[in-house]
Amino acid sequence: MKLYHGEPNAASLTVMAALFEKGINAEFEAIDLCAGERHDLPITYGVEVLRSVEGEGPVLVNNGEAMADSVFIGCMLDESKGDATLLAGDAYRRWQIMVWCRHVIERVAPAASYIGNQAYLQDALKRMSDADFAALTAKIAAEDLRGRWEEVRQGDFTEERLAECRAKIVQMVDKIEAQLSGDWIFGDFSLADLETYSWLRGMLSLVPESFDGHDSVIAWMGRVQDRPSVAKALSLSVTGSPEKAWPVGPEINRWG
Amino acid sequence: MTDVTLYHWEPNANSGKPMLALAEKGVDYNSHYLDLLNFDQHDPEYLKINPQGTIPAMTHGNLMLTESTAIMEYVNEAFDGPELMPSDPQARWRVRWWMKFFDQWFAPSVSMMGWNWFVGPSVRERDPEELAARIERIPMPERRVAWKKAIYGLFSEEELRVSQQRAEIGITLLEEELTKHKWLGTDEYTLADINGFNLGFALPMSQPDHCNDEKTPHTMEWLRKIYERPATKETWAKGRTELASRVTFLERQ
Ligand SMILES: N[C@@H](CCC(=O)N[C@@H](CS)C(=O)NCC(=O)O)C(=O)O
Repeated sequence: MKLYHGEPNAASLTVMAALFEKGINAEFEAIDLCAGERHDLPITYGVEVLRSVEGEGPVLVNNGEAMADSVFIGCMLDESKGDATLLAGDAYRRWQIMVWCRHVIERVAPAASYIGNQAYLQDALKRMSDADFAALTAKIAAEDLRGRWEEVRQGDFTEERLAECRAKIVQMVDKIEAQLSGDWIFGDFSLADLETYSWLRGMLSLVPESFDGHDSVIAWMGRVQDRPSVAKALSLSVTGSPEKAWPVGPEINRWG
Repeated sequence: MTDVTLYHWEPNANSGKPMLALAEKGVDYNSHYLDLLNFDQHDPEYLKINPQGTIPAMTHGNLMLTESTAIMEYVNEAFDGPELMPSDPQARWRVRWWMKFFDQWFAPSVSMMGWNWFVGPSVRERDPEELAARIERIPMPERRVAWKKAIYGLFSEEELRVSQQRAEIGITLLEEELTKHKWLGTDEYTLADINGFNLGFALPMSQPDHCNDEKTPHTMEWLRKIYERPATKETWAKGRTELASRVTFLERQ
């Protein structure tokens, strides 16, 4: 098993920490997702990587197959070794975790990416020469993903959109607060904690107001960060500030 | 006696997913039909069950579940009957990948065109004031926008162009995938096939130039094979509109 991952943030952090949680051995290779290196790997690309709804996430190669979409990779890792720990419990609890993660993927991840791209990625892309940028995007198979790269470089961000995205982060923090009764979101630690933390970590500095007065959520984030799996993933950062690494993410829902 | 109640509309898109999964499992359920074209899903009574005002929702004893794809996984795990997920973890990942690709990328585009072609025109002629009042009580802001666009015909050309382009790409990718295994993503019949059928059964009619026996033979065969299953026949017989009855197009000549 080999994992090509970006900085331990967002989708990459979920998969890196999930591997450590499960104690599954994998070869790790850091790549720069923000420079489009995911489109230049020595792997056989299938539709799952080329058309991943997640955007520029990590790629796990297992049994020769290149896999994408961090939550479902997390499910696979959990089902591959030992008892279920990331998605343990009865069918109803598993439904709760899946629906929660789905909310993160569909609503929170696109919003966080928009905010993170605006704050960090656009400047990096603007510094690239036209030729280099054209060479990068020429390698991207999915039209919509290529379009999002182009929008970031052009600085196509609106105040209205940013406000909507910040509102989604605020709602997510409220939702965690409402759900937390013990240490973790659904009783025991689960993929829901990991996935939510991975997308929110960078929002602490980018949308600090959403955490105002939510001490229980801040404390929960501290508990996730202290898990050995998460600490180990964070220690693999190349830049030292993974919370600033925001590769192009999922699309904001275009239909309801 | 059953302690399962499903709140659904036509066997189509999101409603049809849990309907078909329950039928495949052989689970008896109370069928509670909500007429989406009559805005039943925004009735205060139903909002007590699902405050988001969307369909489907399912109750099992005192548990309440939403999100069609997640409901299907629940149904598969919580009830006896044929297994609808592969046993190999990597095949399960592939099944989930395709369901997400359908739910978040392919189906919304097909759905937008469906709302433009069927849902909007079906309700447009009603009393304008009544319609305005109906839109007002929709709980989710995004859905209020969607309904306005459908009712007043406000989808932009660009939006519809992108949806059409995605439908065509989706059809091509699905056809390629169906050449690889017996069913979608794996050799067993799974939730991905159920999900895909709900999105795809009408494509040969709505996209006849792109989805047909010549261009997409594997997809056509796959749709016909699913249509032939007793659970599918039983489920589509619960439809009340042309949306569902179109399925007979898949009858082998
Ligand atoms: N993600 C949800 C979406 C549910 C949904 O949006 N259902 C549509 C019907 S297919 C609906 O209720 N539309 C009516 C409305 O929004 O008023 C699921 O998969 O169950």
